[in-house]
Amino acid sequence: MRLYSASAEETLRARKFVKDWAAESRIDGVQNQRLEQETVSGLRTTNIFLRLVFFFFTVIIVGATVGLFFEVFLSGSSQQTVGIFLLIFSIVCYAAAEVVVSQFRLYRFGIEEALAVFSVGFLCAGIEIAFFSGYYSSQPRGDQFLIPLVGSVFSLWIWHRFGLWYAFLAAMIFAPFLPGYWTSSHAAQHMIVAMVYSLGLIWIAAVRSGHRYDYLEDAYSLAEALLWFGIYLALNLKLSSLDLPARWWSPVTRNASEFSRSFYWATWVLIWSLPAAILARGIRLKDRFVIAVGAIAAILTFICNKPYLGWQRHTWDPMLLGILLTGVALFTRRWLSRGPGGVRNGFTAARLSGKDKHWMNAGSAVLGLISPQSVTPRPQTNSDFRFGGGASGGGGASSDF
Amino acid sequence: MPSEPNQLAVFWRGKPFWNVRWVDSQADNVDTLSMSENKTSMTILTRLGRWKEQGAISPEQHALLASLSRREPFSLFLELNILLYAGVLAFVAGLGWTVTTWSQQLGDVVVLTVLSLILAACLWYCFSRGPAWSPAETPAPSLIFDYVLYLGSLVWCVELAYLEKQLHVLSGQWDLYLLATAILFFFLAYCFDNRFVLSLALSSLAGWFGLTISHWPYHQDSAYRQYALLYCLLVGGGGAFLQHRGLKSHFFGTYLNVVANILFWAVLSGVFDRQDYGSWFVALLIACGASLAWGLTRRQFAFVAYAAVYGYVGVSSLLLRTFNDTTAVLTYFVITGVAMLVGLILIARRFGRSE
Repeated sequence: MRLYSASAEETLRARKFVKDWAAESRIDGVQNQRLEQETVSGLRTTNIFLRLVFFFFTVIIVGATVGLFFEVFLSGSSQQTVGIFLLIFSIVCYAAAEVVVSQFRLYRFGIEEALAVFSVGFLCAGIEIAFFSGYYSSQPRGDQFLIPLVGSVFSLWIWHRFGLWYAFLAAMIFAPFLPGYWTSSHAAQHMIVAMVYSLGLIWIAAVRSGHRYDYLEDAYSLAEALLWFGIYLALNLKLSSLDLPARWWSPVTRNASEFSRSFYWATWVLIWSLPAAILARGIRLKDRFVIAVGAIAAILTFICNKPYLGWQRHTWDPMLLGILLTGVALFTRRWLSRGPGGVRNGFTAARLSGKDKHWMNAGSAVLGLISPQSVTPRPQTNSDFRFGGGASGGGGASSDF
Repeated sequence: MPSEPNQLAVFWRGKPFWNVRWVDSQADNVDTLSMSENKTSMTILTRLGRWKEQGAISPEQHALLASLSRREPFSLFLELNILLYAGVLAFVAGLGWTVTTWSQQLGDVVVLTVLSLILAACLWYCFSRGPAWSPAETPAPSLIFDYVLYLGSLVWCVELAYLEKQLHVLSGQWDLYLLATAILFFFLAYCFDNRFVLSLALSSLAGWFGLTISHWPYHQDSAYRQYALLYCLLVGGGGAFLQHRGLKSHFFGTYLNVVANILFWAVLSGVFDRQDYGSWFVALLIACGASLAWGLTRRQFAFVAYAAVYGYVGVSSLLLRTFNDTTAVLTYFVITGVAMLVGLILIARRFGRSE
């Protein structure tokens, strides 16, 4: 049911491998030329910058076209009519995305992506306006959960059909809006979201085992990592406020902090257990995304632990965290490099791919420009500390004390 | 559900929804979109085996490339670097927070001593462990080296801010601090081949330009704009000169990206102005042309993107000033959006395949 054939995507993947090997001089120029000829996928790809620009202009075209249609033909129409036409535009956008892929063989080209994104957006907006507009009450309608449900299911379909990772993320983002329509208990809402993500995780874990080393491995890896992170966020009560999206979505007002003692402490145990479990799975599978999520979850647990326990934060806590992170990095590096050939248990600290260097160069240039504004403190006008001080430029040296 | 091998079939409840021919005459010998081919796809490991049999790669290469494809060994290089970066950032954030909160209790001497010790330790480490200087790209001698230098640079910023705020050494002459900081960071960046510190130097220099103007009795947007252009000229020219001289030529990309963005922002702000925008509009067109030409000839597509987006925003802002009708505005966006898309697709058709 994927829009692209396995053969084409596998060939494209092989092409990327060949490019990386050539950049690292693992194959010579003649070999590179030959292997490149054997890895012509027939899909039309583009670089990340043109992809973003194509996305940008497609958004402008579709947005303006739909706006123009409503302005010319539907000004003064009822909400239901507008909603119905949004649903029609959703179908049109989706069909257009399918057609540009099938006719022009576009692959991650920006155009088909913007069309697919619009199809999801128009679908949700269309359902909301066509069927639920004009309903104002302190209690949500029971069937209003259909909006996030349909959005989630359709996003999953887009992910499956087009292979766009952010469609999977969108499907996950729709999920926390669902339980607010079924129960007013915050604990139950957190549990339902965690359960939904867990079911997704079980399904992904079962499916991905059959795709080791093939073109779908990265997609499933990222999906699994996102699901792990979703579960973590749903269970970390200091980070996730399920009340917030529910308030955006529906007019219901809820009271905060209504968790039972046992639930609260169970989540505390879980936020300590989950990072270890995620890291263990990531390391076992040698899965970059899952390892990254495990590390992020571990750092978030350190940051949230004191608020969880009701302990006071200290100004030097970030310093201790920084020392811990640096220490872990150095210890790991040293431990790995002391193995035979710099390898231990199948892991190495050495750079093996040109992509790593590329990311490092791009990241260091960009982060070097951003970081001084985010780490240096603001003027001390009161006892509250806020991050984000520092005037523009100056490496943050223009901050006050 | 039968479908022709060269057709894309989309099904709805088990029935063909539409069938679209996808093959063009030039793609007969390439892998296709046909779903019926899914079962015959070759993983990278299968391909490597075939390439070895065909003699395209040697058995040794096959063994190496196959193990790399299986992530054996699995490189943690990127993860360790990110951990170190996050560690340095968290440490400096905590340091700044602690100094801010406890400066009165600790006293100036203690604060400055601690900050100076950290700074001295960082610089000592870098100068004692640094590799021999070379004008070419030099790899860091160890994983932590770049981050120690970055830590030292950030601690310098914290110390400088503390010195000025508490002791008023230069009586509020922040611009001099920034200029000195920029010079120091440029020196360290070129000395130790560090992009983090180069970016700090560029932002410090930009801060110096901004603060210098703010001291003037008469200043307005146009003055900032002109000095933004001067900054671009200085940094772009300096970067080009250093690249021409072969001094850390790999830094040139960072210079160009910073200069391009600041230049476009400055020129765009001039175009947005209601008065005297004519020359800025001409400057925008020239900048777009130059950026496009550079991007296409050097195959650096970020510059194509800059030209397309900044140019479109600037031209649209100018043209839409005369439009009062919503329909006309929306029609403009539809027509120009399609024109831009078609133009860029023509570019992508020529250059887009290679990423």
